[in-house]
Amino acid sequence: MTSFLTALGNEVRKGLWFAWAERLQISLELPFFTVFILLLGPMLGAGHQIAAGHLSWTLNGGRISLLMIAFVPAMFFYFQAVKLFWRLLGEIQSGTIEQVYLSPLPSWLVAAAGRVAAALIETLILMGVTYALVSAFVTLHFHWTAAALVPVAFLILTAIGYSLIIAGLTLLWKRIQLLQETTLLLLMVFAISALPVLAVPGWFTGIGRVFPATAGVASLYGVMLGHRGVTGLWGTGGLIWVAVTAAAYLAAGITTFRVLERATKARGTLSAY
Amino acid sequence: MTAIPVPRAGDPAAAPPGFAPRVFAAEAGKGLRLMWRRRGVIISGIVVNGLMYLMIQFFIGGGHLPLPVLALTLPGLFAFIIASTAALQGSGGIAEEVNGGTLEQAHLSPARPSLLAAGRLAALTVEGLIPAVVLAVAFGFGYRPHWVIRPDSLVPLALIVADALGYGLLMTALTLRVASIGAVVHVFNMTIMFFGGMFIPVALFPHGIEIFARFMPTTLGTEVLNTTLAGRGLGAAWSGGTLPWLLVHVVVLAGLGWVTYSRALRRARREGGLSPR
Repeated sequence: MTSFLTALGNEVRKGLWFAWAERLQISLELPFFTVFILLLGPMLGAGHQIAAGHLSWTLNGGRISLLMIAFVPAMFFYFQAVKLFWRLLGEIQSGTIEQVYLSPLPSWLVAAAGRVAAALIETLILMGVTYALVSAFVTLHFHWTAAALVPVAFLILTAIGYSLIIAGLTLLWKRIQLLQETTLLLLMVFAISALPVLAVPGWFTGIGRVFPATAGVASLYGVMLGHRGVTGLWGTGGLIWVAVTAAAYLAAGITTFRVLERATKARGTLSAY
Repeated sequence: MTAIPVPRAGDPAAAPPGFAPRVFAAEAGKGLRLMWRRRGVIISGIVVNGLMYLMIQFFIGGGHLPLPVLALTLPGLFAFIIASTAALQGSGGIAEEVNGGTLEQAHLSPARPSLLAAGRLAALTVEGLIPAVVLAVAFGFGYRPHWVIRPDSLVPLALIVADALGYGLLMTALTLRVASIGAVVHVFNMTIMFFGGMFIPVALFPHGIEIFARFMPTTLGTEVLNTTLAGRGLGAAWSGGTLPWLLVHVVVLAGLGWVTYSRALRRARREGGLSPR
């Protein structure tokens, strides 16, 4: 047990050292995401205005609050997956991942859990700073309640599962950054589809439910803006669908990681390829 | 005592005739073979990029796809794909070679580093153009935007490619200096996507942001391409000021990319940064 905790602590500490080394990147990311959220508000649903050649850029607190509900979780997924992917890729390319697998400890602990935990801590801090930056420009109207922790917890579990899928794919196919980037953008788009920003067709909502952040975002909206509880069972933001999504992604993440990890080891391509 | 000069790596005197084209072809061929190995990822990237663009426009259109907005933003998608591919694959490729130690081996050869870089850029051009052309043709035939397609559109297209490669080379150069550049490239790419004319035409941004957006690698190229596709010709783009600024932008960005790459490489060779430290 002691060696387990020591290994986990070492991996978390290594991840946080990585984060400190990436402070330049973080200082670039935060202002971009803040501007992105602020400018996206007036753009949504403005197709006719754009076609007519003008666009009103008024910052609407209600609209930005709505977008924050989708963006904070979507960005959480983004940071979690991107950081895990690039750090894992760096270790694959330099060969240190092979050394990690020489350790007598279970591979899921040293190769995945520590990195996930480090990325989680860093990402939570970044989300807090993004929230503060956006609220400096526009008043955000949220109903703060402890019940919001329920969808937040499920979103964190789903993000861990999702990032493990990415980690498994990275072990096997290495340079998957293009696929990674576009999938994360789709995830963001479908997270917005969970909100009453605009009317979307039923098929669109149906597809959106399969994406990892959609159900959690719908539940978070219900608690923080829709003045609903989290105990409603059914529908996209219902407790059952949120829990099923989290469980399914977590299970898929663990399974995918283990299967692809085994395939990579069997091929002998943990680092050399 | 007689001193025998030893040819240095990169010394043209050390190279046999026809060496330079062979080095260029070998480097470009290596990039293309690696691309072929990743064809599954590239095909899925094309599909997901296309879907993502449609989703964004679907949201901006308020639940439908507004054709006039599609006509104005498709050039932005084309430019974004070339730029993002050049940056991501350029950065990913050199990081892979640094970490794998093969970059150091490549620079032990008598080939000039500029030749190796040119071969690398040629492969990146093909890798970026394939998905960009596939999506432009698919959406062009699918939605039939009211474009006036004339040979003068080839000028902004070529300048977009040059601008995108300058950006890709800059990111590749930074990879040799900044350890965490991989994730930074994602942020820069998202900035290009947002401010480069893929969401909305740049002229619709608030004035200060519009000026900022025009510094992005592909924004001016997208604006000139939109002008030519609207049938107004290069003359309108020239008199409007976008074409001259685009030319300046391409020269500055390509120059900056080249100088940064050369310096980063020289420094890496001097300090042992061509392999993992």
